[in-house]
Amino acid sequence: MKIEQLVPLIILLPLIGGIINGVLGKRLPKMVVGSIATAVMFVSFFLALNVFFQLNEATTINLFTVIRLDDFSLFARLLVDDLSIWMTLIVTGIGSLIHLFSMGYMSHDKGYYKFFTYLNLFIFAMLILILGSNYFMLFFGWEGVGICSYLLIGFHYSDENKGLLNGLAARKAFIMNRIGDLGLLIGLFLLLATFGTLEYTEVAAKLAELSPSNWMLFGITFCLFVGATGKSAQIPLFTWLPDAMAGPTPVSALIHAATMVTAGIFLVVRSNFLFELAPATQDIMLYVGLATSLLAAFIAMRQNDIKKVLAYSTVSQLGFIFVALGMGAYTAAIFHVTTHAFFKALLFLGSGSVIHAMSDEQDIRKMGGLKKFIPITHITFLIGTLAISGFPFLSGFFSKDEILAHALHHNPLIYGALAFSALLTAVYMFRLYFVVFHGEFRGSDHAKSHLHESPLNMTIPLIVLAVLSVIGGALNLPGKHWFSHFLNHNVMGLDKIEELHVDNSSLITLMATASILTLVALIGAYSIYVKKKSLPVEDSQLKGLAKLSANKLYLDEIYNFLFVRPIEALSKLAHQLIEIVILNNVVLGAAKAIGKSGDLVKKIQTGRTEWYLLWMVFGIIGLVVYYLVKI
Amino acid sequence: MEILLIPSLFALLALFVPGKVVRVFGLVGGLASVILTCVLVCKFQQNGGQAVTFFELAQNNFGFTSKMGYDGIGLFMIILTNVITFIILLSNFNREVAQNKLFTAMLFLMQAALLGVFTSMDGLLFYIFWEISLIPIFIIALSFGGSDRKRTLTKFFIYTFVGSLAMLASLIAIKSYATSFAIEDLMAVELSSKVAFWIFGGFFLAFAIKIPLFPFHTWQPSTYSTAPMAGTMLLSALMLKMALYGMIRWMVPLAPEALNDFQYPIIVLGIIGVVYAGVIAIKQSDMKRLFAFASISHVGLIAAGIIIFDKENITAALIQMFNHSLVAVGLFLSVDILEKRMGTRKLEGLGGVAKLAPKFGFMFAALALASVSVPFTSGFIGEFLLLKGLYTYHWVVGLIAGTTLVLGAVYTLRAYQLSMYGAPKMTSFEDLTWNEWLAYFIIMAIIVIVGVCPQMIIDTVGPSIDQLLESYKISNTIIK
Repeated sequence: MKIEQLVPLIILLPLIGGIINGVLGKRLPKMVVGSIATAVMFVSFFLALNVFFQLNEATTINLFTVIRLDDFSLFARLLVDDLSIWMTLIVTGIGSLIHLFSMGYMSHDKGYYKFFTYLNLFIFAMLILILGSNYFMLFFGWEGVGICSYLLIGFHYSDENKGLLNGLAARKAFIMNRIGDLGLLIGLFLLLATFGTLEYTEVAAKLAELSPSNWMLFGITFCLFVGATGKSAQIPLFTWLPDAMAGPTPVSALIHAATMVTAGIFLVVRSNFLFELAPATQDIMLYVGLATSLLAAFIAMRQNDIKKVLAYSTVSQLGFIFVALGMGAYTAAIFHVTTHAFFKALLFLGSGSVIHAMSDEQDIRKMGGLKKFIPITHITFLIGTLAISGFPFLSGFFSKDEILAHALHHNPLIYGALAFSALLTAVYMFRLYFVVFHGEFRGSDHAKSHLHESPLNMTIPLIVLAVLSVIGGALNLPGKHWFSHFLNHNVMGLDKIEELHVDNSSLITLMATASILTLVALIGAYSIYVKKKSLPVEDSQLKGLAKLSANKLYLDEIYNFLFVRPIEALSKLAHQLIEIVILNNVVLGAAKAIGKSGDLVKKIQTGRTEWYLLWMVFGIIGLVVYYLVKI
Repeated sequence: MEILLIPSLFALLALFVPGKVVRVFGLVGGLASVILTCVLVCKFQQNGGQAVTFFELAQNNFGFTSKMGYDGIGLFMIILTNVITFIILLSNFNREVAQNKLFTAMLFLMQAALLGVFTSMDGLLFYIFWEISLIPIFIIALSFGGSDRKRTLTKFFIYTFVGSLAMLASLIAIKSYATSFAIEDLMAVELSSKVAFWIFGGFFLAFAIKIPLFPFHTWQPSTYSTAPMAGTMLLSALMLKMALYGMIRWMVPLAPEALNDFQYPIIVLGIIGVVYAGVIAIKQSDMKRLFAFASISHVGLIAAGIIIFDKENITAALIQMFNHSLVAVGLFLSVDILEKRMGTRKLEGLGGVAKLAPKFGFMFAALALASVSVPFTSGFIGEFLLLKGLYTYHWVVGLIAGTTLVLGAVYTLRAYQLSMYGAPKMTSFEDLTWNEWLAYFIIMAIIVIVGVCPQMIIDTVGPSIDQLLESYKISNTIIK
């Protein structure tokens, strides 16, 4: 088949799967439901592979016109180039594995069919976001993934104890994303006002011709970036992501680690030709990313919920990637998105396997010594930990190094800060690994008796992702840069950007530094958590920085104080003061004034509304009769 | 003509039908109008979207022409009215009131009056139907409403009556310059800007109260919460659309000279309403009141869009009106289901319903999401276009209006989650009956269809809007 037929099919398959399961899923056996959902994903993935090998140049595929007004149209149109097909491979590939994993993980859940419906619909929306040829399609997918994310975070809404809390987490995610969406929407309107179109290619083409002012370019890119801070969890809109861990673990792996949260990065890379002309936005992006990366890594140091650690780690890694975007290192950013998708999905699924084995316990203080009980999970989790920590020659090592090399070239101070962030990453990841898998088991006897390795359909995805996490770095080996060349080949804007080439001696220095830092973290964590067997202490005993870290810098409290409570107070005030006291009295006062001045007609003002009504009817009838007689 | 006759006839007959079958009779009547609407749409399209005049009396010396007809916009409003009326009849089917003759008759009378409003091509006729529509809603609310209804309804009545009088004054004033009340004659009138200001203002007062725009809204939350379900549905889904329609058809075209004076204030009031009512809705605990404020918030946006008065914004406003009607009916149905089965509609007394009534949970969730304008719903398109229009008008306006994205999510999801999530507060909850399910299904189906192919609506109303703007432009250039 041709690309023109294949790509729509790639998008439609998950939608069809979602519809089948949504309509019939309740009556079908779980096995069938899961198989349908997983099968469409795998087929989509293989079709995407097919397109990937066929694709030579950027292709636009027209589907239909959504809206056609006189001077303004919105098209459902697809743009297939190396960037979008690469993201499609990640989404469908990782998506397939996570669907497979979920078949085991969710097997005891009552809402099995709903879960797979939402998951498939999520993939559908994500693919629209990626493959659309204009900002409207992107916005459509953007809102779509937001709603699926909302539904999946609050998936266990009926839980006796945590139902309302899960709902609250979902709501928080949705609302914070909506704040970002507003920024994105304004960005879209600015684009429309400036270029008269939302098509990527047309915007790029008109850019040289119209040469908009620097202020306008800053405005557009800044608004797009605001949108990105929501979806990709950057300061100040990142606090929803850790809470989003209320969702089932496969959701955290797919949506809140590997795919949806990279939408903001995709948006920036897609619009690289705009960002390149707005250095102020690039700088903002760089520093926001850097601050997010450090802040989240700092908080991750003292978290004791296995998923929370990984969530803050995700925020931190996304910040890392935004630093790359701020420096114009787009291919390095997408490279790290790719490897991050591998190892973070692996780590989340691994944590899912741990939680599954621990009968839904997530507190790492109650784990320990798990390596004996769940060997496959242990090995794969270790690989993931090493990969994210930048252990030499694993995937994270290369992708991080690329960004670090850019940073060194850009500004040594930024390099220093990033390297520190990478060090923190290694420390909290090894802390997590050692506390969970080494030492003695610290849970209850009941939990111990239930410990078991996960079934094959859960361990296979772990193994595949572990292999990818090991070899993923080969995509963009220093000196070869296959991946950079690949992306620069036919992606709009990227083909004009010169790649940074670092000479061999500084490359070796860089790599050596990174390796040493990782090893230091490894040895440090080992000596504390394995040799000394020290455990994370109770939060109440923490002091100073550690206390700040454990309490997430009190950011939720600060946001509550600054935004939530004032708005709630305003809501009550507006209702009680303006609504009931002022407006009501004005109206009543006016009515009374009229009443008093109308003493003459007092006799007919009986105050009985029925009479008024009756008179009105009579009046109307009279009028009508009058005219009819006149005729 | 039959479009008006059918509901009038059913209204009359409903009074004589035996009590047991009156609800079936009602459903049949609603369906008849829907089918007729389909026929009209087909005819309309075959004739290439020509405006239709179906009733006209010889003109008398007073200038009352009684001309009735519809163009694309009118047809659109007819579709809206008949579809929504049918859904209201359907969702009431298992309620006690559906057994009541008076109730059924009044519902049809309402439908007839609304259709009259939307097809009147004569100013006086428009006014008459506008007033007639008050009678059925008043009787429905008075006979079947909740506590404190007398006081609330008196307030409502006086409020809207003041507005109506202002409109009547405007109509008579402009007629004094024209030969007849026919809309084309009224539109041809040239007004000095001072006179135009007062005529525009009279219409505006009537419409601002009916919509309602901030600060003319104080009757609305109490009336919505006192009225029975059908009454609230009629008020929010149909009656307020009369006012929005009136802005498009009567207010601006009749006195375009004053548009410049009023445009900015109306947009400001509209977006104040968006934020003000949205913020108030956040902490409401009475769900009906909450959605009443939400409605003020949503229609503020629509009114602001209309008054920009170009093709794009009027189209967007029409799409969003359609969306608002469907969503409002669905949400008020949901509140009523909760209230009927739980005995309360206060959020504190609700919770965990989704677990016990999965069908209801799903449909209510779908409605809540449609209300926050997610993709694949008509609201997504409508809101996108309206916000774009307001943004183009002025970016600050667009930004402030855009907060509806966030506020809407806050109050809607809060209301949904507190009532439906968590552990159930009751032992059992009867899931949807067939008629409720069907009502929801129709609502959602239309919302999704419009959300995927909004072009249908654009094609229906587009040429008529062009025509409207053309004639408005002509009367505007004559002045200059």
